Amino acid sequence: MDNSWIRQNVALKEAHAELLTLTATRNQSMRATWLDPVSGRQELVIVEVCQERFPSLTSVLPEVAWDEREIHDVFGYVPEGHPNPRPLLRTPRWPENFRPLRERPDVRPTWQDADPDNPALTVEGNGVTVMKVGPTHAGIIESGHFVFSLMGENVLHLDTHLFQNHRGVESLLESQTVDGVASIVTRICAADTVSHQTNWALAVEALSGYEAEAAVSLGRVVLLESERVLSHLNDLAQIPAGVGFQVAHQQALAMKEDWQRGLQGMYGHRFLFDTVRPGWVAPPDPENLLRLVYALRRAWTPWQHLVEGHHGFNDRMADVGVTTHADVVRFGGQGVVSRAAGKGFDARTLLPLYQDLRPVPVVESGGDVRARFNVRVREVEASLRLIEDAAARLRRETAAGDIPWSPQDGHSGQVAVYTESPHGLNVHDVTMDNGRVVRYHIRAATYRNWPLLAHAVPGNAVADFPLINKSFELCYSCADR
Amino acid sequence: MSHIRHSLQIRHVDAGSCNGCEQELTALTSAAYDFQHVGLDWVASPRHADALLVTGPMSDPMVRPVERVWAAIPSPKWRIAFGDCAAGCGVFQPAYGTHGGLPEADLVIRGCPPEPGAALQQLRDAMRSTTPPQS
Ligand code: SF4
Repeated sequence: MDNSWIRQNVALKEAHAELLTLTATRNQSMRATWLDPVSGRQELVIVEVCQERFPSLTSVLPEVAWDEREIHDVFGYVPEGHPNPRPLLRTPRWPENFRPLRERPDVRPTWQDADPDNPALTVEGNGVTVMKVGPTHAGIIESGHFVFSLMGENVLHLDTHLFQNHRGVESLLESQTVDGVASIVTRICAADTVSHQTNWALAVEALSGYEAEAAVSLGRVVLLESERVLSHLNDLAQIPAGVGFQVAHQQALAMKEDWQRGLQGMYGHRFLFDTVRPGWVAPPDPENLLRLVYALRRAWTPWQHLVEGHHGFNDRMADVGVTTHADVVRFGGQGVVSRAAGKGFDARTLLPLYQDLRPVPVVESGGDVRARFNVRVREVEASLRLIEDAAARLRRETAAGDIPWSPQDGHSGQVAVYTESPHGLNVHDVTMDNGRVVRYHIRAATYRNWPLLAHAVPGNAVADFPLINKSFELCYSCADR
Repeated sequence: MSHIRHSLQIRHVDAGSCNGCEQELTALTSAAYDFQHVGLDWVASPRHADALLVTGPMSDPMVRPVERVWAAIPSPKWRIAFGDCAAGCGVFQPAYGTHGGLPEADLVIRGCPPEPGAALQQLRDAMRSTTPPQS
């Protein structure tokens, strides 16, 4: 079998390229799209699926372990040589030969009468306890199933069984028109909705050869950064909650609430659903934006002094749930998680959208809960400055969003587009034919970070899992789709 | 119904939501809405619950867990569908992995996601209502 597939992909990884997507199509082909983190140039590697098989990259490129398992589940192509080719999305309830992305999107399976759990990978031996958590949880949290192997209180191994929120979004997007896609993409994940919406807009615009006006781009930057502030405030509220630091938790929730009310006042939605479309952005309101940023700062500064000065809280976060720089590189970690471990990649530095606003990646080296907390704190501050900067420019521009452009019918082609969501590099790989989607692959940042979380937890006390989990704060819906 | 007039204990289960509904449910516990103040609360075990609240379009892997949680709640009990997805009218209805939201809901709170203020009002109205629960 052709091993140039392996050689080329490994060479790109060794050259420090960032893997955007690894995906398959129903006509027996696979492609990996890589991004040069300095020049922003993309590199495409292609392999044909031969007799329903393709050469697995996982043993030399562990970050694609999930991608290949998923391709097997949804297309049926076998990753030959995969060290652990067990199901990822597929459950015992799927009909035997059901391969959702080879079916027509409107075909509904006849589910088997069975429990949805796949066998878990556990440690066996004297004194080992297996603890199962989920899929339903004691609090307000998305569904996920975690199987811990414990020795006393220490975690030996964590097997994550996710995809309880798998809806079949990629299949649903197939054969949609430009109008149909927007409302679905908006709702993939509430925490990263603007990032998903912007990706879709960038994809259509790239396929049409259209370049958005500066004012439209600035309007999108405001939305992307507002979303980052919203999401980070949520996470910064949840981390103190994980150690019972209620004052910091409640105050951060209050800041989040005020921020959301401000956004709703300007954009009509507390999570900014339906604010970006191809050729369009919801018109920003620079005066009120500046007022909202000012109001947040007044609450933020005392809160920041509170959390910074609280030694108990900082000690509690230190050296817990450590991810090393080497692990982040090996697993292709993204976003806050990777920047907290010293990897300075932030896709905003490559996006033409940001023009000369020059976002600077925030990097820490500890790789622990505290480093992830601190990266978010500094990123909120940086985002507020970006919003102010963009709002000031928008005041000078003619009203953004008033410039009408609608995509021409019938565009065709394939494109991989990305933005930096609050959770990290969020990629959409879109193929259209004559104005209709023929393949839509979504690789959210959390998809890469989940395996990294499972790797960070062993060696810690099981009681620290909620804290570690909250410091990663990985949305399930982005990964599960 | 008098048993929930002053207090309604709710068990939440996510069945394929986008996390927007969850964030608004969390907001209900914050100082801005303070829903414990009016006798509402999330409970960690279905055994302590008066009601099951489901978000999301009922993703297939959650069908059985939702049934089990429902069975574990002592009667009389309520089903609450929170958000358009659970109400059976969200954008994910045609997706192959979904089952049309929460069936037979006693209370449907619409919105994508529902605004916490409006949701709180609906929950309080339901507590005051005299209609007996279905199950
Ligand atoms: S109703 Fe809207 S906010 Fe709630 S889960 Fe569905 S898409 Fe998300």
